[in-house]
Amino acid sequence: MFNIPSFMGFDKAGFGDPDALAFFARVTAAGGSLTTTEKAAVNTLVITLKANSLWTPMKAIYPMVGASAAACAQNLKSSSFTGTFSSGWTFASTGVESTAANGYMDTQLRASTSLSTSSAQLSVYINTAPNGNQFLAHGTLDGFLQTNGGAIYGSLATSSFSFVSNTDNAAFYMVNRQGASTLKLIKNSSVQLTATTTGTAYTSTQNILLNAYTTTTFINNCRYAFASIGDGLTDTQSGNLYTAVHAFNTTLSRQN
Amino acid sequence: MIGYTLTPEQKDLIQGQYYAPYQFFNCFKDINDIWFLFLSDQDKPEVEASEYAWVLDLPEAEYIPPPAPPFPPVI
Repeated sequence: MFNIPSFMGFDKAGFGDPDALAFFARVTAAGGSLTTTEKAAVNTLVITLKANSLWTPMKAIYPMVGASAAACAQNLKSSSFTGTFSSGWTFASTGVESTAANGYMDTQLRASTSLSTSSAQLSVYINTAPNGNQFLAHGTLDGFLQTNGGAIYGSLATSSFSFVSNTDNAAFYMVNRQGASTLKLIKNSSVQLTATTTGTAYTSTQNILLNAYTTTTFINNCRYAFASIGDGLTDTQSGNLYTAVHAFNTTLSRQN
Repeated sequence: MIGYTLTPEQKDLIQGQYYAPYQFFNCFKDINDIWFLFLSDQDKPEVEASEYAWVLDLPEAEYIPPPAPPFPPVI
């Protein structure tokens, strides 16, 4: 069941969820700014995530609001894992997009030290079509999420990656390790694949990158309007996360 | 696609360096092993205000991507 909070917790005086307010403060301190609509949308997103038991499992949430590197680099969940962007990105109210080959955002989050091998997830919400980019990855096959050539690919804590056929379009994508031996590939609210793979370890010593390890061939990158990294989710939770994120982006008129 | 071209020495001067608090240079080679840098329109004022403003005076050229790597990629 998806819980829609009856109390939005945000008014003209700036009252809001404490975690949303802390995020707004980080954006401001970084030199960024948010519109009233963006603040309201973020506040509602935080409240909705909490109402659906989705806040606690998250380690990093990038809502990609504020139309600047300073704002989009901020992690909604906490002051940890503030991102940095390589050259060539554009930042707009519609999301963030690398206009260069090899453009990426470093999340500063390392799977080997921050993610469980039996419970983890990576997700993105893109509102333009993908082009073979790895949405989130850390340089080895035991941690990535990607669409390419008509398939969703993903793995967490095993180099035995999973894949399932896909229409490579703008959508919400997730690789979700639900347990020591269960990994799921998800598109929007639907589980596309349930794979039996045993999570053993994250071998990479690199941070997880957004728009990661795109080759210099893949120039036309997709536009990101949300990304998250965290603990594994139940099917109900992952469906609710899609609903919340899609509603968030609909509020901002940038839904896919 | 047009980008700035750099000598290896120029690349070494800027690769990974921050031109704004949350943005850093990332250069890469084209099919002919020439170093390239792409900057978005939003990047340029930030670079111009930094100690790396000279980058904006670098010659520009058409970027030709190298062949696609094997898939799935292994780093």
